Amino acid sequence: MAHRSQKIPSVTVILAVLIGIAAICFPAAAAPVQAALRTNLVQALLSEDLAEQTQLLQKLIGAEDSMIPQVLTAWRGGAVYVYETNQAKVPFILDAASDSEGRAKGIRVDDGEFLKGADGQPLVFTATELTSIDATSKLRKVIKTSLDLFALGNSNPKMRRDAVIKLGQELNADYLPHFEARVKLENDAEVVKALSEAIALTQVASEDAKIRVAAIQKLGEMRSINSLSFLKQLETDAKKTPDKFGAETIQAAHTSVLAIESYMAWGNLFGTAFRGLSLSAVLLVAALGLAITFGLMGVINMAHGEVMMVGAYTAYVTQNIFKSWFGASGGGFDSYFIAALACSFVVAGLVGLVLERGVIRFLYKRPLESLLATWGVSLLLQQLFRHIFGAANVQVSSPSWLSGSFVISDVLLAYNRIFVIGFAVFIVVGTYLLLTRTSLGLQIRAVMQNRAMASCVGVRTDRVNMMTFAYGSGLAGMAGACLSQIGNVGPGLGQNYIIDCFMVVVLGGVGNVFGTVSASLGVGMTDQILQPWLGAVMGKITVLAAIILFLQWRPAGIFVTRSRSLEG
Amino acid sequence: MKLKTYLSSLVGAALTVAAFTATAAETVKVGVLHSLSGTMAISETSLKDVLLFTFDEINKSGGVAGKMIEPVIVDPASNWPLFAEKAEQLLAKDKVSVVFGCWTSVSRKSVLPVFERLNGLLFYPVQYEGEELSKNIFYTAEAVNQQAVPSVDYMLGEGKKKFYLLGSDYVYPRTTNKILKQYLKSKGIPDEDIVEIYTPFGHTDYQTIVAAIKKFASAGKACVISTLNGDTNVPFFKEFANAGLTSENCPVVSFSISEDEFRGLPAKDLVGHLGCWTYFMSIKSPENTKFVNDFLGWVKAPKVSGIDYTVTGVDPKGRVTCSPMNLSRMGVYLWKQAVEKAGSFEVDKVRTALIGQKFKGPAGEVTMQANHHLINNAFIGETLASGQFKIIKTMTGVAGEPFSEKFLNTKTASN
Repeated sequence: MAHRSQKIPSVTVILAVLIGIAAICFPAAAAPVQAALRTNLVQALLSEDLAEQTQLLQKLIGAEDSMIPQVLTAWRGGAVYVYETNQAKVPFILDAASDSEGRAKGIRVDDGEFLKGADGQPLVFTATELTSIDATSKLRKVIKTSLDLFALGNSNPKMRRDAVIKLGQELNADYLPHFEARVKLENDAEVVKALSEAIALTQVASEDAKIRVAAIQKLGEMRSINSLSFLKQLETDAKKTPDKFGAETIQAAHTSVLAIESYMAWGNLFGTAFRGLSLSAVLLVAALGLAITFGLMGVINMAHGEVMMVGAYTAYVTQNIFKSWFGASGGGFDSYFIAALACSFVVAGLVGLVLERGVIRFLYKRPLESLLATWGVSLLLQQLFRHIFGAANVQVSSPSWLSGSFVISDVLLAYNRIFVIGFAVFIVVGTYLLLTRTSLGLQIRAVMQNRAMASCVGVRTDRVNMMTFAYGSGLAGMAGACLSQIGNVGPGLGQNYIIDCFMVVVLGGVGNVFGTVSASLGVGMTDQILQPWLGAVMGKITVLAAIILFLQWRPAGIFVTRSRSLEG
Repeated sequence: MKLKTYLSSLVGAALTVAAFTATAAETVKVGVLHSLSGTMAISETSLKDVLLFTFDEINKSGGVAGKMIEPVIVDPASNWPLFAEKAEQLLAKDKVSVVFGCWTSVSRKSVLPVFERLNGLLFYPVQYEGEELSKNIFYTAEAVNQQAVPSVDYMLGEGKKKFYLLGSDYVYPRTTNKILKQYLKSKGIPDEDIVEIYTPFGHTDYQTIVAAIKKFASAGKACVISTLNGDTNVPFFKEFANAGLTSENCPVVSFSISEDEFRGLPAKDLVGHLGCWTYFMSIKSPENTKFVNDFLGWVKAPKVSGIDYTVTGVDPKGRVTCSPMNLSRMGVYLWKQAVEKAGSFEVDKVRTALIGQKFKGPAGEVTMQANHHLINNAFIGETLASGQFKIIKTMTGVAGEPFSEKFLNTKTASN
């Protein structure tokens, strides 16, 4: 005990001393406040009874002990473990720092010290080999509420805000003092906004008509989407029993509901635009490589999807290498994805190079044979990867900077989606610069427009073909790595995208990269606009039907490219 | 062989034993009809493995009525018409006594006429939509009232008031959701609080749907009932987690994700979401400990004892057990008991003997009812980061009922 009391923060010590003076007959009882709380926590962890756990957890609220929220967070995520000795069960969490083999030291929940073995050395554990203390959904709800109350004082504004929103929706008047205390201290504008929303939402249930009407009006002014259904419910209830609520409440609720709904309509429009843009970017990223190999070079490359798969698996392998170097989290691991993009470009480019040298160069004048040959290659590649990595999908985890989302006027923008949009812009600009500003680009355009003439003026057409095909394949590889953040990585990955890729390239106009860009935009936007009305299945069918009709009207696609090679 | 069996059934109990011991080296052919290639191979291969494991178990302890089980494995390659062809081959050419097989409902529907025409016997082990009853099929699988209805009951009990029914676009989700919708209405959930949405197989773009769920759940008390199939779950749950939705503000109950599916799914994105099955690997019972340990040992050195047979294509890495696997195994044991009761391998006699058969399995006792479905225990489990389920609710002795009008009516009547 003496050892532990040294660690108590000075405020607590003063408090303890004051209480000690006040209640002189119990000098020892008040001293280890923190220790008592920790004991409560340990009890809660080891208990099997939900009611007891709830009670114990409530005692913890308001404690100024940073270890408590840390343990609660770990508990909720299934990362608190038990070390059993002959004498007792000791709950512990793992230290954030892990060694090269993924092992970490255990930190005792009761005193924050490292767990030591019989020899006095800290013990090390591997997370996957431990059994965690489970938390059921009911208990997790309790933990979450406690954590939310803790989080009101969190140093991260985003955490504070999430906690406020969550607590506000519970419409629990007990929380009002917590909110009001916090709003006085708070200096972050977003959190202040969330706090006043939570206060207003809680006050809507108030008995006092004045407070209620003011709260309803406030929510309307704030355009609070979270409170819409509560307000709607209130409006219906109030209309049923006008005597209880009064005309003012009905009027206020009605005005606020209208204001929030019209605001939501704008939000929907913006949301649809973003989602359309993001789907377009996915299509564009997947199809740009094909726009080079099929569009510019005229090779019907059925193995395009499998080259994407090569890229995705390269990302998987890169991830595993980084995992073995840096462990499964942290900055080192998170940077794997940048390396994965570069690696997949190189690896897929090499696969493209081999494919061009080994198969396609013999078939430039025979498009139908190249269709069959590349289809064969695609089956070979699929089976090869199934053999190496197994038939089941592999898991490519998202780096932390690509997980999650942020919110602009209540529209959710996921980081991985924004990344794909940015990446699409990047590769389109890159390809544009390559084709128009470099000598290779000049040669590519020359060869694609008139192979014989280009050859006559000294362009090594063979080499240009090879480089172009490798570049297109490299783009496909990067697309595969990029799409691993959104969908599945498995041997069938290519098959999911190949139809969409050809559709976009053909719709845009074969031979025109910017046709592909506009076709992706058109297809993506149309799909997302139609989906909320028609559902995912009918939406997709409608888009396909529209494309068929469009191609009837303009068989050469949106942009018609005139070149001798295509006409001849 | 047939004559011998016939005779033995005539001469009575004492002689029967003698006859069985005398024919100990003899074998009985049993068909295994699961896709070992194509899209369904990922799921169905595990069932083939567990069947071979069960045959080995039974052969080691003396076989079925003294005869060693000899598996006849065919590969219908995830191709529905091929299922019918292979079934015909098993019944007409190989003359198997019983077939264990099928996963998707469409494959079952495609073999059904073959089994009825040739009077075969099929055990079907995977949760399905019901509304079917063939005298030639025994459904050890979960019927809708053993999986979907208990899950919804649980959600209602948790105070959920809004239900988002999301599924892949094919017969099982559509039928199940149709039944659930009726059921929810009978529980007083108004139409506007039930949303029914379908996505195509292999759908990857869940932005719109997740945005809609987010709005749906903005005032709390909402949950998602998911019949999404296979790997479409990955983009869905990724998008779901990115949108800041968790099992606390909007839990998802999935009917198509078992422990075996977690071998290809990122379990950490699904932590806290729910599953409902009649078996979980995490069940604590002596029978289950034995089953899990024996199976995990078996996959390292797979063989079928008692006969000359080489087992190939068993992947020993990261194996788990799951409900369809347990139900496959239950089917074999029920069939064995029925054969021994009937004293014959003849389909008609076995069929009669099967009704009322009980077997104490890893998840408790199962009983075959006259409607060819099991009385079984149902469990609700929460997904853990390890890809296992923590059981949070147990419902004992739920009687499988294929026809929804029956259990919808009884439910409303009892309320």
